[in-house]
Amino acid sequence: MDFDFSFLAEYSGVLWRGLLTTLQFVGIAVVLGLVWGFVLSLGRTSSNKGLYWLATLYVEFFRGTPVLVQLFWIFFCLPLFLGVELSGFISAVIALSLYSGAITSESFRAALKSIDASQFDACIALGLPQGVQTVFVILPQAMLRAIPNLLSNVVSLFKESALVSAVGMADLMYVGQNIANNVARPIEILTAIALIYFAIGFPLTRAVSLVEGRLLKVVKA
Amino acid sequence: MNYEFDWFYVKKGFPQLIEGLWLTLELTLWANVIGLVLGFLVAIGMLSKIKAIVWPLTAYIEFFRCTPALIQLVWFFFCIPILFNVWWSAEFMGILALGLNLAAFNAEAYRAAIQAIPHAHTDASTALGLNVFQRIIHVILPQALILSLPVLITNGIGIFQQSALVALISVEDLMYQGRYISTQTFRPIETLTTVALIYFAVSFPVSQAVTLIERRTKRLLAN
Amino acid sequence: MAFVEIDGLVKRYGSLSIFEGFDLHMENADRLVLIGPSGCGKSTLLRCMMGLEDIAGGTIRLGGDDYIQGATDGRMTLDRRVQKEVGMVFQHYTLFPHLSVLGNLCLAPVRSRGVKKSEARDKAMGLLERFGLAERANFYPSQLSGGQKQRVAIARALMLDPKLMLFDEVTSALDPELVVEVENTMMELAEGGMPMMIVTHDMHFARSIATKVVFQERGKVIEAAAPDDLFGNPQQERTRDFLRNVLHIEG
Repeated sequence: MDFDFSFLAEYSGVLWRGLLTTLQFVGIAVVLGLVWGFVLSLGRTSSNKGLYWLATLYVEFFRGTPVLVQLFWIFFCLPLFLGVELSGFISAVIALSLYSGAITSESFRAALKSIDASQFDACIALGLPQGVQTVFVILPQAMLRAIPNLLSNVVSLFKESALVSAVGMADLMYVGQNIANNVARPIEILTAIALIYFAIGFPLTRAVSLVEGRLLKVVKA
Repeated sequence: MNYEFDWFYVKKGFPQLIEGLWLTLELTLWANVIGLVLGFLVAIGMLSKIKAIVWPLTAYIEFFRCTPALIQLVWFFFCIPILFNVWWSAEFMGILALGLNLAAFNAEAYRAAIQAIPHAHTDASTALGLNVFQRIIHVILPQALILSLPVLITNGIGIFQQSALVALISVEDLMYQGRYISTQTFRPIETLTTVALIYFAVSFPVSQAVTLIERRTKRLLAN
Repeated sequence: MAFVEIDGLVKRYGSLSIFEGFDLHMENADRLVLIGPSGCGKSTLLRCMMGLEDIAGGTIRLGGDDYIQGATDGRMTLDRRVQKEVGMVFQHYTLFPHLSVLGNLCLAPVRSRGVKKSEARDKAMGLLERFGLAERANFYPSQLSGGQKQRVAIARALMLDPKLMLFDEVTSALDPELVVEVENTMMELAEGGMPMMIVTHDMHFARSIATKVVFQERGKVIEAAAPDDLFGNPQQERTRDFLRNVLHIEG
């Protein structure tokens, strides 16, 4: 069997643009997901029953259904609901961000829960008012502890972002499949695409374990 | 919002959706069989001191963990037939891709669990005169299974959700049937919402069970 | 009037009763060491005094002020003065891991007492110097040994000028060779006249630091006496049993 990777050079520009689109989707979904996830985690730790259940249902639903279904739902149904046209780009961004928010809120919540009860004892023993306790003791520790999970969420979103190709967004996946169809050389092109994803996904995953090891040492006092 | 709901087509197409669900469950089951068995074998292989074994296994795990499941699936679908000159069904390709993906994640779960087994147990098994295989089967496997059970189930239900991807290579699973009905009837809201609810109805109880099991296993192994 | 007066303390965890009317008094110059079998409520007593536990009844007075008033419905009213007057050091250090040593010391004075940053800093450096920890001021807790962590925790409590210090098994989590440095620090505080209540399993240390040793069992004070009397000539059968067991184990 002959492999011919030389033709790939011809398409490097298109692939590059596809990759940028992918990264753009991921970047926006991560940032919006951080904000939305923080709001959701407040709801999930709230003592208000209504808020708690609303946030919990939301998070469980988005974690309990395929992202592909969510994407199609936003893409096909949301415009009907809202009665306005949504571009494919906007739909895909909304879908990824809603999902990102759900997994981000879980990271925040787990981080909050992992703080040892004795830290609260120490705050009382030092007579720290509630506000000081939250802002200077609990929140910074929660943020530190959430970092590894937040990073691994970025990896997840990076991988899930390939789904936007299914609704016609010209991301790396979409561009790759298109070229593969046009030149009838699926092995070379699909392998190349996989390697590009890997070249970004692998260092990110490594970074997660590195950061995790470092942080564990710090927060374990 | 002034959308008028019409559930007629969902009711009419419901048997079709259930048929899709069965296929989805079938894919999930087989992918899990591959994932649980192959994952353990890979994890055991990773314990080896021989680089020629560890390196390819590491490459396999990292590759499947660090690339989108969609590219894996599409790659299998288009490239396996050309490379090996075999013509397997799309369902089988789906099972293969999902199963190999799951095995990579499960191997990591097993590995973490094996590392968490106290080293004293290895010494104890040596002292009891167990050989390597007896040790793997009677000491390591049961504990690794119990310790990693929550993660294995979480991964397993994750593959149930990921299996929706096979709709993109024309496997007629739940996702595919939902898409089909919604485009045929122009009723995406009713159909896709129903599809989402079916997925949720399966995965939610399982994820709740994981929380329970996690609490149990912690107590069981707290020695 | 005694410096600390605990009268009729009632404390329960659900159906488990720890204290049903516990009384204990302590004079200003005292260093009280609480000993007794595990589960007898020594640590719980300190936690009640610090306001970390709800109590179901009784009063705890410090310098004549009621500061925890038990009520029958299990809720208590806690006067914020308690934390201003009492310092506490825990078994597991409980340093804030995200703050440096200096940050740990200055947090409470600056954020809840309105002390100027520079003032708190000078005071903190003074304390660290005294404890031989000055060069660790900018280290993080994870970079310290257990003994150093515990001495930083003591310094952190001293930043608020407590009138009474509570020590809850502060050497129990330490490797044996690190115990001495923490005990020496406590000895130095004792020589400076700091009133203390100490829970410890180290009988030799108890004997050397205490002015009064309290043996308690099942939520009751069995015997309280000067260390030489209690260790040398215990009056109660149960005290003798307990001491025989622990001293035998210690070899």
